Amino acid sequence: MAFALMCSLAGLTVAPGPSWAEVNWKQAEGASLNLLLISHPFVDALKPMLADFTAKTGIKVTFEELAEQPGFEKLLADLSSKTGAYDVFMTSPLNNWQYASAGWLEPLDEFIANDKLTDPAEYDVKDFIPGILASGRWTLEPMKGLGEGKLWAMPINAESYQIAYRPSLMKKLGLEVPKTYADLLAMAPKLKTEGPDGPIHGLITRFDKYWDLPYLTFGTMLQSYGVEMVDASGKLQICSDASVKATEDFVKLIRTASPEGAGAFTWDQAMQGFASGQYVMSLNEANLFASVYEDPKQSKIADDVGYALTPLGPDGQRAAAAWVWSMSMNSASKQKDAAWLFLEWVTSKDVMVKMHLAGNMNPVRQSAWANPELAAKVESWGAEPGQYRKVTEEESAVAAVRFPPHPELTRMLDRWAEAVQKSYFDNGNVRENLCAAQEAVEQMLAE
Amino acid sequence: MRSAASGKGALAGGRAVYIAMLAPALCLLFLTVVPFLDGVYTSLTNEKLYAGVTRFIGFANYLKLAQNPTFWIALGNTLLYAGLATLIQIPLGLAVALLLDVPSKVQWFFRSTIALPLLIPPVVAGLMWKTMMQPQSGVLNWLLAQVGLPPFSWLSDPQTALVSIVLIDTWLFMPLAAIILLAGLQSISGEVLEAARIDGANAWQTIRHIKLQALKPYIVLVAMFRIPDALKSLEIIYATTRGGPLNATRTLHVMAYEEAYRWSSLGRAMAIVFILWILSYVFSTILLSLWRKEEMRFHGR
Repeated sequence: MAFALMCSLAGLTVAPGPSWAEVNWKQAEGASLNLLLISHPFVDALKPMLADFTAKTGIKVTFEELAEQPGFEKLLADLSSKTGAYDVFMTSPLNNWQYASAGWLEPLDEFIANDKLTDPAEYDVKDFIPGILASGRWTLEPMKGLGEGKLWAMPINAESYQIAYRPSLMKKLGLEVPKTYADLLAMAPKLKTEGPDGPIHGLITRFDKYWDLPYLTFGTMLQSYGVEMVDASGKLQICSDASVKATEDFVKLIRTASPEGAGAFTWDQAMQGFASGQYVMSLNEANLFASVYEDPKQSKIADDVGYALTPLGPDGQRAAAAWVWSMSMNSASKQKDAAWLFLEWVTSKDVMVKMHLAGNMNPVRQSAWANPELAAKVESWGAEPGQYRKVTEEESAVAAVRFPPHPELTRMLDRWAEAVQKSYFDNGNVRENLCAAQEAVEQMLAE
Repeated sequence: MRSAASGKGALAGGRAVYIAMLAPALCLLFLTVVPFLDGVYTSLTNEKLYAGVTRFIGFANYLKLAQNPTFWIALGNTLLYAGLATLIQIPLGLAVALLLDVPSKVQWFFRSTIALPLLIPPVVAGLMWKTMMQPQSGVLNWLLAQVGLPPFSWLSDPQTALVSIVLIDTWLFMPLAAIILLAGLQSISGEVLEAARIDGANAWQTIRHIKLQALKPYIVLVAMFRIPDALKSLEIIYATTRGGPLNATRTLHVMAYEEAYRWSSLGRAMAIVFILWILSYVFSTILLSLWRKEEMRFHGR
């Protein structure tokens, strides 16, 4: 079920430049599309370019931009009512497992194969990093079939998880970036210092009671400890010995090196907390936060940030979670050809590169990673030239979506996250909390 | 003849008026009762937004809720939240109303300023206070630090999160209590207060024996507005803690919202909402009858 999300990015060649000779881009002229966008650097990059799409196709585009939580709630209401208010929307594999099960998504393979709509040479679907593209495929069978079956989404960026740190503070504290979780646990009590604006705390990472904890950030640590939600025989591993050990270590790390309120930090608090210079290290957070850390307008640490691989687990194993933002087409859309032309345009080689240059990290096309302008943009990111890119590429090589596809996976993972948070707040012991969560997830699967 | 004809005409006209009045009443009934009954029916099904087939499952959703420890925590939180909010806001509102009732040159200024929080949407208030209560960068902990106090976890500690949200609720809605109670104070006859003053009553005696007695129906009125409102509170909680940390601020409304909008389970969400409706209905009915009794006692009507 688990599959490598990203392939190695080194040594890739650049495909030829765009010509769009074979497709009549004006074939849906006069159509009007409505998009639902979730606030993200991708959207900031897209908005100024929408006029180019309208000029190229004669298709008007309107959009609504919402924060993640209200955005997905509004989308759920619209998709379930089947009104087709949004032709195209931002989504992810996790959401699509529910949307595709309900029949709310239009499969995209036929649009890619239709030569009136898509020039295969120009669009070059093989240029997408195979694992990332495959994360949008699913057979609709609960708990299996990920990466197979129909294609439900086109990727627009991907993220994995890594350490970000303050090189000057690590030097001041006489510490090296940790290679293993054992190293990190050992240095946790020393990870604190005084800054010009008050105390600088050790670690920050998200820790609220939501699915993204076991799926993405703490999930990265769990996977390095060898924990998967289900093993090869389909048995739940939420309260396995390895899971208990990883949770105990995680709780100990947070208790030792994080400040008041760490048990409720969300991803944006984690990102802004590190960017504001109040932490020595950001543990296993999204690597694309680097575009914020490196921007002096948004970050106090733009000239003092480094990146490192996630630590190795007890068996010397490194694993990382992966998240893919993508765009899908509403099956209730009344202008599917126009909607595909938009999807095709927005995920085309040159448009993707332009958006990456405007801050939408990380690329999902091999040609974008190989683009010299983009390479130059990220070259300065990190404590030494090329550090961000090197770390991201190495982390990407092990990053994977390791969770079984299921329409109610978020409910199950929320329950798992609750057990981790409960362990932090001292309610019962870790094994008891995790085993109670496993039992609850078993019941959810049985329903 | 003429009178018979005009009588018939009057009758027909009367019928037309009845029909004209009945139609909007029926429309209103249709628009309120039908969705309500539809909601109750949904609570008896296993409806999930993404699942094609919906089955009638009787009271299974309610039974499952009764077996779910989170439901009982949420019920307790709901009652605690509403109880605390009302118990804090009524005395505080009363104190503010008594102050605003004192004649002064700047009275108009304070009277208009006190209502300002009521103009702020609860979601905005929640986000604003969340920023101020942030343990590291929030202004509240900065203020504590200025007087040598250690940082406080406010919204991120299960022990303090619910009380912190009640404080936000109080900031937002205490002015409502103050305004209603001020209206009550101003309805007291000046002659009664003058008579008390001539009889030698001091300020405290006037407040205790005259003003508070006259305000009883108004206090019940405030409770009538605030208790059902606090039972249904969602925006402030969701904007600040989303029900966490752990289940410290998970109320029935938060639970229903998550069932519907995070997990698409409309059947379960409607079961929770219906239980919440019963709670609100019971409290409203009790308070309404208490209010009528107080009105009758004090105003004789």
